[in-house]
Amino acid sequence: MSVGTRVADMDLAPEPGQPRPLGLRQQAIRRLRRDPVFVIAFSIFIFLILAAIFGGPLAAHLTGHGENAQYASAINQDVLPLGIMQRTYFANGIVHNPHGSLFILGADALGRDELVRVLYGARISLLVAGGATALALMIGISLGLLAGYLGGWVDGIVNRLTETAMAFPNLLLAVGIAVVVGPGILNVVIIIALFTWYYPCRIVRSATASTKQMTFVAAARTMGARPRRILLVHLLPQVWGPLLVYATSIIANNILFEAGLSYLGVGVPPPTPSWGSMLSDAVTGGMYQVDLPLALIPGLALLITMLSFNLMGDSLRDAVDPKGTRR
Amino acid sequence: MRRMIFRRLLGAVVQLFVVTIFAWLLFYVIARFTGASPAQRIAGKTASPAQIALVAKILGLNKPYWQQYLIFLGRLLHGNFGYSYFQDRDVSSILWPATRATASLVFGAAVIWLAVAAPIGAYGGLKPRSLGDVVGRALAIIGMSVPVFWLAPMMSYFFAFEPTQGRVLGLAILPRGTTLFPITGYVDFGQSPIEWAYHLILPWVTLAVGFAAVYIRYIRTLTAEQLGEDYTRTARAKGASTNRILVRHVGRNVAPTMTVLLGADVATALSGVFFVETVFNIPGLGWTGVYAIQNLDYPVITGVVIVSAFIAVLANTVVDLFHGVLDPRVRRMAAR
Repeated sequence: MSVGTRVADMDLAPEPGQPRPLGLRQQAIRRLRRDPVFVIAFSIFIFLILAAIFGGPLAAHLTGHGENAQYASAINQDVLPLGIMQRTYFANGIVHNPHGSLFILGADALGRDELVRVLYGARISLLVAGGATALALMIGISLGLLAGYLGGWVDGIVNRLTETAMAFPNLLLAVGIAVVVGPGILNVVIIIALFTWYYPCRIVRSATASTKQMTFVAAARTMGARPRRILLVHLLPQVWGPLLVYATSIIANNILFEAGLSYLGVGVPPPTPSWGSMLSDAVTGGMYQVDLPLALIPGLALLITMLSFNLMGDSLRDAVDPKGTRR
Repeated sequence: MRRMIFRRLLGAVVQLFVVTIFAWLLFYVIARFTGASPAQRIAGKTASPAQIALVAKILGLNKPYWQQYLIFLGRLLHGNFGYSYFQDRDVSSILWPATRATASLVFGAAVIWLAVAAPIGAYGGLKPRSLGDVVGRALAIIGMSVPVFWLAPMMSYFFAFEPTQGRVLGLAILPRGTTLFPITGYVDFGQSPIEWAYHLILPWVTLAVGFAAVYIRYIRTLTAEQLGEDYTRTARAKGASTNRILVRHVGRNVAPTMTVLLGADVATALSGVFFVETVFNIPGLGWTGVYAIQNLDYPVITGVVIVSAFIAVLANTVVDLFHGVLDPRVRRMAAR
């Protein structure tokens, strides 16, 4: 979104008989609705949200399997779990019980229902990534606005901070912090936010620094607006466009971040289902070599989620920035 | 130029200093309040309070914090990372071979991702919206979305494990016991360069996929940008072939930006290394780090963090200086 949006949005009286020209926001929305890639990616996104909210409880209700309940009858005598679309074993662990309960995506090594866990995993994944992104945006926007508006030494400190933070292998430090502070969902959210706030911060800082030179800001100031009002009412709305684009890619990053931390055993604590820990359960013991779906299912769930967010991000970028640095 | 080098090096030293403070605070101060104290861990579970106090005194844990930090920093400057809680070894003797392994992994992967991304990206920039470009962009977005910790076991399964069972993609077409690629293991370059490369092919490709995807997009955008410039039109007008324009003119102008991106991505690659090394059992920094985390071996974790940060800062600094050599505009800007 360009800097002069507000000026262009102002109510210029349309020529009589002429339709009012579309604002930048309407133009962007119209472009998105005509973009088939965005429509598909957005549908997947909506599906994911629904799966995260209703999927887990619904699947648990229909199958009767709790997300952390372990079923001895889902594991055979060779300690192999049920495969996809198989019913539980009789007590001897050899023959499937035709009236046993159905495990649609099979069971994991502990005899838990894979489908129910994947769906609850979606909830954890989106919740942690969304929460961390919201926190990162709050920190990033506040610091960015302050640095961009005040300039001077505040700007200097924030700049040094972001530069230093960006220079380091962040997963490593995140894992280090996670080890020290211990596991917990809230801890994961805070740690992830701690390592992502600088992207929005840099965007907001540069946008604010260039926008504060515009005439409308000077006008607001001459009318007696205090800095707080200028920041929140005049400057903040200017950066929503680029922020929206970045937010989608930050959420995608954070989903991977959470899964990665959980994969390394320092993320969401067990037995809470998380795609990362499900994957690591399947991989670290070598279970996936005899039961590939255990690694395929959470991996594909992650892949589809990431694809949806990355594609949405791309389409949003094109729609918000019509001149198109990309095409 | 000399001033720019000086400023850049000073910046790097400051960054490293910040890392040591951060690592020390985290693993030597905060960690003491959240888990067992280092003295307790070294003395063992059955130690008497007097023994623990003695170990604490030897470790200098009852000195003021600022003194402890200075001692920590002084030891670091002498290459002394302390003694592992878990393995009966010096941390530096663990870190050195690990760094070599990780360097092999990251370097090889970087060669692969550049070799793959450059032609695809350049083609996309040259012919936007052609079939090749659409396919390239689709591959790029898929590559960006694949989690490396999922790709690693999948590569290991389909290219290393399944052939040993006589199957390829579930079809029994190979004799049982075929070794297409080794499942795990690492051979040092000094031992046998061929075995080294053979053992690293799958890890290299695994690590390279995500970066290749990002670089296809970088290179595509940069190429398209440069092709719109006047100088490419001039080159075309004087009769230069497309290949010559791409290699001589566009390549020359894209190279400085690419070097800077590469430097920054070394830091990112050091995060991916965690997953690739644990799946393929490469005794590098990531593997060492994961092993140390499982055992709460703080001196080793600290060592891994500091060495990785050092490599990242080194890569960024070298690349920035190299950027100045490649691009005279940067030199001039820095001289001001």
